[in-house]
Amino acid sequence: MTPDEITALLLSLKVAAVAVGVSLPIAVAVALALARLRFPGKSIVQSIVQLPLILPPVVTGFVLLILLGRNGIVGAWLYHALGISFAFRWTGAAIAAGVMGFPLMERAIRLSAEATDPRLEQAAATLGAGRARIFATITVPLMMPGIVTGILLSFGRSLGEFGATITFVSNIPGETRTLPLAIYTFTQVPGGDAAALRLVAISVLLALLTLAGGEWLNNRATARLHGR
Amino acid sequence: MVGKARFLRAAVVLVVLATSANGARAEDVVVFAAASLKNALDNAISAYPKPSGVRIVASYEASSALARQIDNGAPADIFISADLDWMDDVQKHGLIDTATRRDLLGNRIVLVAPAAGHPADIEIKPGFPLRALLKDGRLAMADPSAVPAGKYGKAALESLGVWASVADRVAPAENVRAALLFVARGETPLGIVYATDAAADKNVAIVGTFPAASHPPILYPIALVANRHNAAAGAFLAYLESPKARGAFEQQGFSVLEGSK
Repeated sequence: MTPDEITALLLSLKVAAVAVGVSLPIAVAVALALARLRFPGKSIVQSIVQLPLILPPVVTGFVLLILLGRNGIVGAWLYHALGISFAFRWTGAAIAAGVMGFPLMERAIRLSAEATDPRLEQAAATLGAGRARIFATITVPLMMPGIVTGILLSFGRSLGEFGATITFVSNIPGETRTLPLAIYTFTQVPGGDAAALRLVAISVLLALLTLAGGEWLNNRATARLHGR
Repeated sequence: MVGKARFLRAAVVLVVLATSANGARAEDVVVFAAASLKNALDNAISAYPKPSGVRIVASYEASSALARQIDNGAPADIFISADLDWMDDVQKHGLIDTATRRDLLGNRIVLVAPAAGHPADIEIKPGFPLRALLKDGRLAMADPSAVPAGKYGKAALESLGVWASVADRVAPAENVRAALLFVARGETPLGIVYATDAAADKNVAIVGTFPAASHPPILYPIALVANRHNAAAGAFLAYLESPKARGAFEQQGFSVLEGSK
């Protein structure tokens, strides 16, 4: 592997890890709210959350550019008031990846939240456990299979994210050129096939490792749930 | 048995429907053209006095994508590339009728800025202070390692001796229109695009034109794809090279090249 390819690989892992890490608490909160609470406009929130799953990625990237670009509706304020800018930065790539993976993560966690029995939490409450303790010792462990699946799906989606990323933060080597963008770049050069194929092989390997890791985590979560 | 016969009949109908509904028909002329040609070629096609029964179907994409599709057997009759490299690539695969190949159009690259509050015109000359003009922003351009518009831009900046100072400030875009979008939205203070793209977008202003001598000539070669035996395609190619199609290209800012290669 050339240094550029290693850079792209490490960048992909960094972007995906940050995307998953930042979106996980939000996804858990949104999933619990949608699974447990009743509030006006719930179906609208539900639809908006799932939107990036259905929209073409380039649309999501364009919307992110309009919202969070340096002259975007929110981005301009962030830049002038706080000096924060996501445009053309790896943090912007992580946002794009996180947004694209969010529906998958939220959906998996919501399904497991809906499947948990609220009476177990009530039982814990009658035995004197506080809300934080119930959440940490009852709610989260019961939802663990869904959380693990959500992390896996979102991480995988982040590794593969292309359209939203290249539209939002372009294709800067070492900053926003993740594996898929690097592969795309090589396919654009006459005679770049060999390098592209090498990166494709790395991507496949990475995907297999992710799946294997997810499977292992899932087995562990299920085993713990059943007291093994 | 009756059920089986009915199933077979349904299957035959489905296959016939599927093949006849397939976009392009045999007598259609399929043109694969570089994305930057869209407006001009659409106009040229609508002005073409088509023989009855002939449809002109144009597919616009990055030249690189189109060349790869033709290399892999896409049913194109005519290929118009935005640079020589990709036409050469298809020719190397033996998929171009080389007798029909010629350089059809010329273009220029320009420096653009967001139209709102754009800076004064910049004189583009050797050693011009591009890095300082960018301040803390980036320079939007099509990917200089691959996409024609970016390759021309990089070559121009190299020959003017300023590439080294801005190489780490480039925002490489997927194609030239994506670079145009970054400038039009004010995400980057400056960008390099074709003169024809700049003319097509009211949200950008041209602040300087690169000297023609600073980069290889920007040429759009055209050719018939080999082994297609479509007479209507030859007629349409002749039309595109004739004075009748000239207006459509010049109106969009292309220069129409004289004589054949």
